[in-house]
Amino acid sequence: MKAEEKMKYQGRLLLFYGMLALMIATLLGAVGYRQLIETDEFSERVKVQNHRRIVTPAPRGNIYDREGRLLVGNKPKFSAVVYLSDAGVRKAFRNEYRILVRDYRERNEDYKTGRLQKQARANVIQTYLDDVNRMLGREDKVDVEKVSTHLNYNPLLPFPIIDDLTREEFAVLLESLPVQSPVQVYVSNQRNYPYESTASHTLGYVSSTILTPDEGLPGEDLTTFAEKGTFGRSGVEKQFDDILQGEMGMEIWVVDPYGFQVESQERRYPTKGNDIQLSLDIDIQTAAEEAFKYFDKKENVEKENIGAAVMLDANTLEVLAMVSKPDYDLNDTTPFISNETYAKMKENSGLQNRAIQGVYPPGSPFKLLTSAAALKANTLTAETEHYCPGYYRFSSGAVQRCWKQSGHQEEILWEAIRDSCNVYFYLAGLDTGVDIISNEATYWGLNNRTGIDLPHETGSMLVPTKDWKRKRIGQGWYAGDDTNLAIGQGFTRLTPLQMAVFAASVGRNEIVTKPSILRLSPQQAAQRPPPKPTGLTPEQHQILVKGMVGSATMGSSYRIKVDGLSIAAKTGTAEVRKDGGKIELAWIVAFAPVEDPQVSLAVIIEGQVLNQNFFGGVHAAPIARAMLKAYVEKHPDALTPPPTASVALP
Amino acid sequence: MAWLTLPVVFKAFAKTSFYEFQAPISLTSSYVRDLQDFWAARTKSKNELYEAGQGLARLNAAYELTALENNTLKNEIARLENLLQLPSRPDYQYEIARVVERDFNAWWQRIVIRKGRDYGIPVGAPVVFVGGVVGRVSEVHAYTSVVDIISNNHLRLAVVIEGDNRPMSYRGGGAESFAKPVGIAEFIPVDIQIADRDNLPVLVTSGMGGVYPAGIRVGEIRRLNNGAGGMFFEGEVQLDERLASLTEVAVMIQIPPEQ
Repeated sequence: MKAEEKMKYQGRLLLFYGMLALMIATLLGAVGYRQLIETDEFSERVKVQNHRRIVTPAPRGNIYDREGRLLVGNKPKFSAVVYLSDAGVRKAFRNEYRILVRDYRERNEDYKTGRLQKQARANVIQTYLDDVNRMLGREDKVDVEKVSTHLNYNPLLPFPIIDDLTREEFAVLLESLPVQSPVQVYVSNQRNYPYESTASHTLGYVSSTILTPDEGLPGEDLTTFAEKGTFGRSGVEKQFDDILQGEMGMEIWVVDPYGFQVESQERRYPTKGNDIQLSLDIDIQTAAEEAFKYFDKKENVEKENIGAAVMLDANTLEVLAMVSKPDYDLNDTTPFISNETYAKMKENSGLQNRAIQGVYPPGSPFKLLTSAAALKANTLTAETEHYCPGYYRFSSGAVQRCWKQSGHQEEILWEAIRDSCNVYFYLAGLDTGVDIISNEATYWGLNNRTGIDLPHETGSMLVPTKDWKRKRIGQGWYAGDDTNLAIGQGFTRLTPLQMAVFAASVGRNEIVTKPSILRLSPQQAAQRPPPKPTGLTPEQHQILVKGMVGSATMGSSYRIKVDGLSIAAKTGTAEVRKDGGKIELAWIVAFAPVEDPQVSLAVIIEGQVLNQNFFGGVHAAPIARAMLKAYVEKHPDALTPPPTASVALP
Repeated sequence: MAWLTLPVVFKAFAKTSFYEFQAPISLTSSYVRDLQDFWAARTKSKNELYEAGQGLARLNAAYELTALENNTLKNEIARLENLLQLPSRPDYQYEIARVVERDFNAWWQRIVIRKGRDYGIPVGAPVVFVGGVVGRVSEVHAYTSVVDIISNNHLRLAVVIEGDNRPMSYRGGGAESFAKPVGIAEFIPVDIQIADRDNLPVLVTSGMGGVYPAGIRVGEIRRLNNGAGGMFFEGEVQLDERLASLTEVAVMIQIPPEQ
């Protein structure tokens, strides 16, 4: 019996042991599976939970002019910061909180934990700031909300207590702060514009923001805190942002349960962005901008004209100078644009780059296009003569005047260009017609963007057609529209950059279209789109040139004269309606030297007073002269060599 | 454990008195070394001493000339500063002190000098020698002072590269056993390059930090590495080798303007 019972128990015992073994095996299997098979996954989870990544933006690349002079760089920005992850700081937070709670309890007042924590942290930071203030003789105060926001969103980043240390203050803190102090000096970088407002629209400005970390930067799956970086908002800074942005740096930290740094695990330094070289020549640019200044005798102050100017290398179409006024000091845009600065920048459309965004009626320089169209269509020849009595009377009886009320009398084409005779071109426009002129303008690229490598070039340029007017205005095309079109008035709108490109095309007698703000290597220059023929015979082309040379030497453009330089120029005065009156616009386009054009330019000055006369020859020509003078000072080869005296040998 | 339970006052007293009791031993050994040097000099022959005396006389003559030139330059600088109405610069009194102890290891980079409160040495005073900056006084006792030397990684100062005015940070880099003391320069602008190994960029005090007057040599930057932020270099600074065998230094005590 006993043996039977024993057997029975043994069976049960075996079953129990078997089950126990199975359970242990299951447990061991599960542990083994987790430890050996799923180890990577768990390690990854621990890493994600315990690691944080701090991303540091890279300094942007520099921007140089065509001679390698620094136009935009970086400069250090010195700050005093508190490292919030420092154990001493956190202990101080806790102690201060306890003191505040005790005070409230002693006064039997209610308190809110969150608010008290916020106050405690601010108090502690203020204590550190007081120490720094004592060292520097300052009286800065901590912003409670700023501290709280920083701790909530960027606890791993140092909190800036003073953001604008001078070099001297930086040096004082270096020698006064203990090396182990939670308060330290911190150096970041900000954009620096040594030429201040010069070429401000072309260079553009940057804005600061939290940038998206670069792809491929280690620790993509970790919680990331990023320091503020910058991105290009306008001009070259925007256009070449990809090149100028460097490679971000990062640091992976092990953090404690409160999220504060314990140990650095991995670090990669940021790499500065690539530099770029522009085609701008800062000497010419500065000369042009200086020439925009004038002295207002009535108000006894120096003022600046409003308008734009562009000078191009006539062969490569590299931009040598691009001015847009009013402008702004680029240093005021960094590290951020204050509301006050922004309001000032917006005055008189100061944010607009008038050289590529301003569309204006081109005025008399457009007569060159009318001439080209008429010559190609054989509605004009070199000898075609028209009589200018000072006005043109339409069949309806309406009268359209020439700028010279006494009239130019009989003139042939080159004389009409030289004298800018309106009546001559009214007749040429009527003979040629809108279709031919408009097609010719399109052929010369005037109906399209130039495609310059700058952002926000306007697409609002227009050389009207009958169809356009019918659709847009709902009216037919009248003879008056022809006469207006022929002299660059009416609906026609072009940018100063287009006019400078047009002047280069006229000078070269081949149509070029795509200017560049980058300094081109010979290889890049060779890869540019090939020029198109103008379709003008050399003789026809010479008529235009002769008229422009006449304008520069004895006509309305004579103020452009630069000793020793042969110049072809054409001034103009256009009008736009404003507030029930008219504003005049002063134009000049030119190229030089005449025989082998090296540069072309266009200048426009906007009148400021309603119904006040404003002339291209008076207001725009001196600026063009300053630009050409600056050019020949650096390129004396452009000057015509003086004739050598021939001596008869006996 | 027993030490931990002792009152703070007692511990502070014990710590201070340790230095003060230890100081006489250091001082005595220093004086003994001086005596050794004296007797070593006594063993020299008259001819050797005569030659050494001649050499010193020549040096003195040269120094007198240099002192005259310095005076002229000093007066000229003062005249120009008056003309430009520049604020007066702090003036220093130099307290020359013998080194009684050198303590260089992985933790400490410091020396003990034979002058303390008895000579009015203040904590924080800059210390220099013929080769440039030595360091800064960190502790002052009755007859001795402890000077953290510039290879100590707790010491930091504002420096510039000779001929440049952009401030950067210098801090001691410590020293490995048997290795030369080094320093680390931070925030070096990236346009600074080491083109010529024989003509390394020289770091001098900036004079902006308020502790050291401007223009005192710190060391030479012998290697540049990428620094944090990507905009600056970090540089390894080679310090004067004589720092490891200093026998005499000068403590610069700022003279208050009203004196």
